[in-house]
Amino acid sequence: MKLFDPHIHMTSRTTDDYQAMAAAGIVAVLEPAFWLGQPRTHVGSFEDYFASLVGWERFRASQFGIRHFCAMALNPKEANDPNLVDWVLALLPRYLGKDGVVAVGEIGFDEVTPSEERCFAEQLELARRFELPVLVHTPHRDKKRGTERTLAMLREHRFPEERVLVDHNTEETLPLVLESGGWAGHSIYPRTKMDEERMVTLVQRHGAERILINSAADWGVSDPLKVPKTVARMRERGVDEETIETIVWRNPVAFFAQSGRLDLTELEKPATIDQRELWEGNSVLRGQTAVVRT
Amino acid sequence: MTASHLLGLLEPRLDPATREWLSRAGASSSGNALDASAFLEAFAMAGRRLGQKPLGTPEDTLAGLGLSLAPDTRTPALLGRVALLLRAQERLEPEGYEALVAACYRSGDNGERQAVLKTLPLLHHPERFLALARDACRTHVQPVFEAIACENPYPAAYFPESAFNQLVLKAVFTGVPLARVVGLERRHNSELARMAADYASERRAAGRDVPTDLTLLSPGASA
Ligand SMILES: [Zn+2]
Repeated sequence: MKLFDPHIHMTSRTTDDYQAMAAAGIVAVLEPAFWLGQPRTHVGSFEDYFASLVGWERFRASQFGIRHFCAMALNPKEANDPNLVDWVLALLPRYLGKDGVVAVGEIGFDEVTPSEERCFAEQLELARRFELPVLVHTPHRDKKRGTERTLAMLREHRFPEERVLVDHNTEETLPLVLESGGWAGHSIYPRTKMDEERMVTLVQRHGAERILINSAADWGVSDPLKVPKTVARMRERGVDEETIETIVWRNPVAFFAQSGRLDLTELEKPATIDQRELWEGNSVLRGQTAVVRT
Repeated sequence: MTASHLLGLLEPRLDPATREWLSRAGASSSGNALDASAFLEAFAMAGRRLGQKPLGTPEDTLAGLGLSLAPDTRTPALLGRVALLLRAQERLEPEGYEALVAACYRSGDNGERQAVLKTLPLLHHPERFLALARDACRTHVQPVFEAIACENPYPAAYFPESAFNQLVLKAVFTGVPLARVVGLERRHNSELARMAADYASERRAAGRDVPTDLTLLSPGASA
């Protein structure tokens, strides 16, 4: 079964992770633009970050047979820095038209401040202009209230529900998102957010429709194999294959295909890896034997 | 070559809506004048609008236009972007044009960067883009490196010796067949032969095989 991790920050992961992910069946990832732990203080840092998402990281993933897509946005945390907001929002149109960019995200709320609200609203308009779906982050603190506010915001802006993926859901927020008509993401984390056991229970209760799971792996304590691990747990607890495949492949493909930028026939084929051309030098291969698979 | 030659090759393969898009791409909404931010958006969108499936355009047809491209890079997106850059040159003062080319490269994804590098030798006074071309050789993204290093007459025509030698050695390091480096025979020099021989000796000392292409650069390398 092919797996799609629809929320993972690969720039903070190693090539060992890429190898393990490919071995576990992950063939496509979506990397949303987010913060980097250390706050950025110059628009130029965003420019280089955005460029790396469509440049180096995309190439790095391809060397392991993994297709790398991304979502671009000014994230809610850094939307609170008045020295960045206008500049980063002005930069985004230059990146939203690019090939691997299949959504606007992560947008949404962190502390629900006026500046976050303004950036959220302006980026919904950008998504409309570039005909892209949106990936919406929900706050970790005061989660239920934050999610309600998020859904209200999307309604106020009349953003089409079927083009919204609301992420980091819990038992309390999932029914709200499904009821809104949007898609619901779940970040399976070692300690916080959501775990495998609870996720299987949610799937048994709600089924597969508009439900996605991801690792949200980043630079903190997280696990890039949470999608395959949750698949294994679903199997052990008797969830049928059709349901599993819908959650880990068909749903993310269908959601991001709304961008018009997923080549569905190409996605179904195994990716071509050719590391011969990367022998030593400055590629990710440093003297190992090259892998060739066509 | 002019933009219209290339557009002439491309247009019959596009549907009417895309042809219309391409004809207006990069122009400001109020008129035909070129608008830098509209251009940068169009340059990015060309990937999606024109498509990435390689065209079966024969080598000779491209050579007739002054272009040399590996078969898998003969895509409508790449040809369209080259045409957009050539057309912009006809519409902008040199200073504004240089800034535009630099911006296309700096904020470009891998495909956009490849297109900029393929366009360089076709421009007026290509030597003014030397810094950009040399910077491209420092990339770690192999397809971008190959866009400047392979099937591209620019480095042999404009690079100083040291930069050309670095490019050739990097090609060997990354497994690019040297037959793809244009003008290598003409630009070959004794320093390059020494670098190749030293590299061969480093590999032998490490117990590794010596890439056959090294012997093309330095007859002693195989010893
Ligand atoms: Zn995230």
